[in-house]
Amino acid sequence: MFYTTRPGFFLAPPSECTWTRSPMSQLQSLNLHQTSEPLLDVQEMQFWLDKAVAWGQADSPDTQKDSCLHFRRLIEFLQQLLTHINNMSSTTESMKRMPFLGQFLGRLCWNSCIIADDTSRRLLFQCLWGLYSEQPGNAVERKANQWIRKVLCQLATEVDDVAVQELNKSMGLPPEEYHLKVLRKMVALLQENVGMSCNFSGNTNERCSCDSILATSEACVPLVSCPEAAPLIGALLQRPATCVRAHLSEDFLDALSSAYSSQGLSLEEPAIVSLWYHSLSSLEEAMLSLLESVLADTGSPLQKLEERIAQSVLPKACAQHCSIFLVASDIFRSVLKQTEGNESVKSLIQIFTSCFLREMAALQPQKCISLKAFFPQSPQRLLVPLLTLPSEMPQKAWRHHLNWLSSSLQRLAEEEDSSSSTRGNHKVFEAWFLLVQCSQWMQVTLQLLVMSVPEDCGPLLWLLTFYHHPTNRGHNKALQLTRAREALDHLLSLFSVLAGPLPFDRLQSLVTLLSSQPQQPSPSSLLILNLLVGFAVFFQQSLNKSTEILQTVVDQSGLVDEAACVLRSLELRLNEGSCLSGDANRVHLRIEALQNTLTHMHAGRSPAVNQARTLTHSIAGEST
Amino acid sequence: MERHMEAVLKNLTSSVELLAAAAQSGVVEQWDKQTLSRAFRWARYCEHLVSRFHNNPAMVRVMEKQLQFTNQSLRAAFCGYSDVSFSDLSRCQHLLLVGLLNNPKLPISLMKMLFDTTSPVNTNNSEYQDVTGFCSHIIQSKFACKVLRPLTHSSLVGADAEVQGMMLMVRLAALLSQGSEVCRTEHFLDSVLQGCEGEPQHFCLVITAALLTPKNSSAETASQDFLLNWLEKKNSVLQTMCSALPTTLLMELAKKHVKFRDAYVDLLKKWASDMEYSIDDGVWVQNNSTPTVSFQKLTEHFLTLFEACPSQRDNVKNELIALKISDGDFDVSGLSVWGDLLSVLNR
Repeated sequence: MFYTTRPGFFLAPPSECTWTRSPMSQLQSLNLHQTSEPLLDVQEMQFWLDKAVAWGQADSPDTQKDSCLHFRRLIEFLQQLLTHINNMSSTTESMKRMPFLGQFLGRLCWNSCIIADDTSRRLLFQCLWGLYSEQPGNAVERKANQWIRKVLCQLATEVDDVAVQELNKSMGLPPEEYHLKVLRKMVALLQENVGMSCNFSGNTNERCSCDSILATSEACVPLVSCPEAAPLIGALLQRPATCVRAHLSEDFLDALSSAYSSQGLSLEEPAIVSLWYHSLSSLEEAMLSLLESVLADTGSPLQKLEERIAQSVLPKACAQHCSIFLVASDIFRSVLKQTEGNESVKSLIQIFTSCFLREMAALQPQKCISLKAFFPQSPQRLLVPLLTLPSEMPQKAWRHHLNWLSSSLQRLAEEEDSSSSTRGNHKVFEAWFLLVQCSQWMQVTLQLLVMSVPEDCGPLLWLLTFYHHPTNRGHNKALQLTRAREALDHLLSLFSVLAGPLPFDRLQSLVTLLSSQPQQPSPSSLLILNLLVGFAVFFQQSLNKSTEILQTVVDQSGLVDEAACVLRSLELRLNEGSCLSGDANRVHLRIEALQNTLTHMHAGRSPAVNQARTLTHSIAGEST
Repeated sequence: MERHMEAVLKNLTSSVELLAAAAQSGVVEQWDKQTLSRAFRWARYCEHLVSRFHNNPAMVRVMEKQLQFTNQSLRAAFCGYSDVSFSDLSRCQHLLLVGLLNNPKLPISLMKMLFDTTSPVNTNNSEYQDVTGFCSHIIQSKFACKVLRPLTHSSLVGADAEVQGMMLMVRLAALLSQGSEVCRTEHFLDSVLQGCEGEPQHFCLVITAALLTPKNSSAETASQDFLLNWLEKKNSVLQTMCSALPTTLLMELAKKHVKFRDAYVDLLKKWASDMEYSIDDGVWVQNNSTPTVSFQKLTEHFLTLFEACPSQRDNVKNELIALKISDGDFDVSGLSVWGDLLSVLNR
């Protein structure tokens, strides 16, 4: 076999380590040298040594399969080994303690599966560097250095097939180019095979073109980070799962998801979408990284946020695969619950949902499945009314639509109150979650409310209150509703002052209402803040006076960021046609002016970035 | 022009000297990342010279002459120096790498850089291409091929031969488009054949792959015609092909190239005519030709041919009948190989 012919393969001098000695006796010598320092587990070392011997160069399907099967564990072991080598004072010491090391590393270096993989190759090379002595102090170390150079040189330059080499020489084809060309050719051939349609007849004795899928995916385990193999990996992932024989190997999916989380993949967008479809952990990873990046950045305009969400391709993936959407929704549900309806999370969910709906609309009709499948838990009666965009409906119908929504939700909530069962709770939560997903209607509600106050505002106010206080738990909806009405009256009288200075006492009591909790704005103060911003934007009051009110109140209550956030979401809706058209221009200018004012006030920023980070981390911790 | 030529030759000499120094001298001890990158840049320059001028016999002669001088002086300077030929220059980066990695004076820091595993694949061919991870990428693609090879049985010639067949076509097309004399192109094929002396079967696969390359342009048709003409003259190669290639490949070739089909028929007839009847064993055997083909294998070849080219069935059979008649037209087995062949083929 190959290793007996390789010169200089014995790292340790013959007295220490020879091929004639069995690995077990070498391990016993490891025990003898044991000191207080924790050593590698002897049994584990023995296990890997045996494996390395059994695998050889992993050039048969069986050894290759077994190598791939043990891949993850081997990487962990190499990591330990590396730490161990680096803790030794010298190569001489390493050799004394672990005389089998050279044999072990040498064998792994010639195992195709292990050396082809980015991570294990890196670890192997690091182990070799760890054994290289810059200033060799004795014969063992000099010999080790020579051996390391030799192994690496052979790995990079040796050609196994002399005929191939000679032929390349006469055709002027350099080896590095040749390997790359052959690899591309193989990838193309296999990609073609994978792309072949399934011809399984149901007869288990017959061969099917899908039979090779499992083996191909297993072989790709060490190649997940290899850019040349990306087309094949993409083809494997995107193969429609129509045949029972077309399974992808779990190891393959695990390898992909771990490469994905360390940004080691070079796959095209459709392949990434298929990866999410196949691998839950990759999907979670993608969702969490989107959450983290969006929540860390509270200052960007929502259009930017929308761009970022669309660029994540997640909404598109959701439209293509219902199961991805269901997972994404579950993640959003859990984040919402944990953050008690954090405003940034809510706007993320709303924007995400509208991106998703846009992608759904862009899909070819034959690929579209019913929206109901995407929202199995939502109250079906509310589904279509809420998923309809305000811009898809005549503006005159808005008020009626919202009144209907309000009464439907009210009924649902009352049923919950009377039953007090968990199922009832669940129903209300799902209704509220759908409202959050479609919360562009809440901006319309705010506008209509402010513009029609004080007449006929009961249902709209209820809807707005429900959005901020979905449960009775700690919220006490009836009380909140009373408070909201008081705040509304308060704001109406404040914004109705036509001349003279602003009444100080009214301003002050508004500040008091808003600053009920110093740490984090409570749902009720957020509701009042929404009303305040709504008045500032939509109420028929001069811009100067409106600005003055908003400025004074948010400054004193310390809610500058939150007010800016409400303004941004109003602005985004405005651009999407969720604003009464006659008013659009005026409203746009007012929002811009108010935003400028808030930006100038913005002195010390709240530590929102850190908050978001902690938030996503705690979610990540919980989902794993 | 002349000044340009002078500069090229000077650069060539410096590059070859650099190769020798990288492999043999302690100078590399002083090298750093920049020196190493520059060395690889010079090596790429040489590779570029080859691809630019290899079809220009006058230029090749001038450069070869220059290389002779340089080799001579380097031989004197370094013991054990092996000469660099013009065609070697096409693998100049490889030669540089082999030299460096075998030189014990190469600083370990540079070695670590070449084997770096963190840098992404270098796809741009900019002048300042980084050599970080150069070896790591070679290792990756080389061993990735090994991982995938057991799965690529759908290609009968194999991915390796396909790549080389494609390369052969490229080289042939380049030579033919230059209007080079026939003998130069033939010489090229001869030298390729010579390189494969130990492994004639691999060479047959490469030729097959080249002949089975889809004909997308007139250049490809011309290259394949040239290859077929050359093959007609190289009877031994043809014999190896027909006896060693799997039946399906022979069928593909016969279907695609009339010239190959005719040569194949002629070879089969020759094999048959070389057969003698062994009275002891009661079978037809080939006595004096290598590789030997059994009577059964021979009939299989005929059947393969008929399957690939049904239109040929009658023609070939008529020829066989004529040959049987010339042998006396007896319907007794063991008298005429043609008669016995026909009786098996008509079954």
